[in-house]
Amino acid sequence: MPAVAVRNLAKSYGNKQAVRDVSFEVQKGDVFALLGPNGAGKTTIIEILEGFRERSSGHIETLGVDPADRSTQRWLRSHTGVVLQELAVEPFYSVRQVLSRNAGYYESPRPIDEVIELVGLTEKADARIKNLSGGQQRRLDVGLGIIGNPALLFLDEPTTGLDPSGRRATWDLIRQLSADGTTVMLTTHYMDEVEALADQVAVLANAEIVATGTPSSIGGRDLGAVTIRFTLPDATSPSDLPLEVQSLDGRQVEIHTEDELQVLHTLTGWALARGATLPGLSVQRVTLEDIYLKLTREDG
Amino acid sequence: MSTGPSASLIPTTGSYRGFSDLKLVVRQVGFEQLTFWLNPIGAIFTIVFSLVFLVLLGSTAGNTTISFYGNIKAIQYYVPGFVAYGIMASCFNVLAITLVNRREMGLLKRIRLSPVPTWVLLAAIFLNSMIIAVMQMVLLLAVGRFGYGVHGPDNIPAFLLAVLVGMLAFTAMGVAISTLVPNQDAAGPVVSITFFILVALSGLWFAIPPGSVLAQIADYFPIRHLILSIFAPFNTEPGTSPWAWHDLEVIAIWGVVSAVVALRRWEWAPRRTK
Repeated sequence: MPAVAVRNLAKSYGNKQAVRDVSFEVQKGDVFALLGPNGAGKTTIIEILEGFRERSSGHIETLGVDPADRSTQRWLRSHTGVVLQELAVEPFYSVRQVLSRNAGYYESPRPIDEVIELVGLTEKADARIKNLSGGQQRRLDVGLGIIGNPALLFLDEPTTGLDPSGRRATWDLIRQLSADGTTVMLTTHYMDEVEALADQVAVLANAEIVATGTPSSIGGRDLGAVTIRFTLPDATSPSDLPLEVQSLDGRQVEIHTEDELQVLHTLTGWALARGATLPGLSVQRVTLEDIYLKLTREDG
Repeated sequence: MSTGPSASLIPTTGSYRGFSDLKLVVRQVGFEQLTFWLNPIGAIFTIVFSLVFLVLLGSTAGNTTISFYGNIKAIQYYVPGFVAYGIMASCFNVLAITLVNRREMGLLKRIRLSPVPTWVLLAAIFLNSMIIAVMQMVLLLAVGRFGYGVHGPDNIPAFLLAVLVGMLAFTAMGVAISTLVPNQDAAGPVVSITFFILVALSGLWFAIPPGSVLAQIADYFPIRHLILSIFAPFNTEPGTSPWAWHDLEVIAIWGVVSAVVALRRWEWAPRRTK
């Protein structure tokens, strides 16, 4: 049984269709990234899965139960954790006080000191929240999301506002949670975050899912052309190359191909035969950001 | 570590868990009190504000008499008046601003997404306001008695009923007005200005003669009725009753209407994110 199953989900506000015929599944222990421009419907879907918002139609199971079913809502909430898009912590509490309060809401919370350590706030455990930096407050927000030891964690843009080291630390934490069996539903605008963390991705545009897959294959990313770049060796001209050069910028050469293995074989064979090198040789597949922009632009 | 769904583990009998939930209310009230006192300037200002005004008025005009209440000393009117003010300030003014702030900061949404039942969360917030009102009341009565020799209330059940009805009704009004305030910036001005104008018109700073134009206007609002219903058990003049049933009725109607508004308009999510 998947941790989250969504079939033909729809949500409208008056005449506005916020989510249209959305279907996907999230397997247990996976990190699932829901991507899309602002207003595409990500937060609405997450809130419906959390049981915070009611759907207009469709079938949903979150951890095996319907999140709209009030008879199981308390059970569901005791097994899910939420990190909201914006900071939501009381300013006058200390880190330990707010975690201690929230731990009391759950049947089997994580030890408070363990959570403080996991989110890197050991030094600030007794500091007032209002005195923490924005990044530290964001990390505390993540700590509040995991204090209940959730089977399913919703992370709505969890690294927004974090510095690079804070982002990496949060990524490590998410990897660790996933490795321990926690299912993670992530929304983010950072494509490197998706590549680093996600097992599966769904891209939303205009209230619909326009593509699903892994970060490396979504939108035909694994099948598309790659770009091979290098600098021309000394005393050579483009016409000396054994291949047609498709793009030339000074001595920088770019070759776009769908058959990178053959092209690289030809190029490197040519260079070795001449005793030359190919400075700055790189092979780059189309980026996730390229695919994301293409998917969301086409739909728009 | 939780491992996800298991049909045998999923409860299907609703969310009330009896005594353990009541303990949760007590625990949550404790944290509400902690929240209140962790902001000492706000806490002291809230508690002491009514006391300062009582002392100011008591020292300047406390010994004057009010002819239309049988020539009682004004301080005998001010003490119950400020008890009423304390209830309104805590259960209406402070509560409404707190709720708007928590809603717009996302705190209500976060706590709504926790396993704690809604009624536990709301009961704790409301009880906390009532505890603050009671603290003010005890201080005001103590200062009234030991500072100015104010007797009363002579009819304790009538006094307690007025206090209870006032707390419940003004809590409902506080929640209702919080649902009408669109954002944090507007919370202070909308709630406080409305409140202080109505308090001034309702005879807190000076007693209003019954039947006067001002009294007729103020009678449409609940504030004067709360002042009078709490004053009644302090008023021992012959021919007066400690039970201000008409005033309590008006307060209760305001409370019920407000509760309906609050239930219909209540939101957990910040409005700015819509």
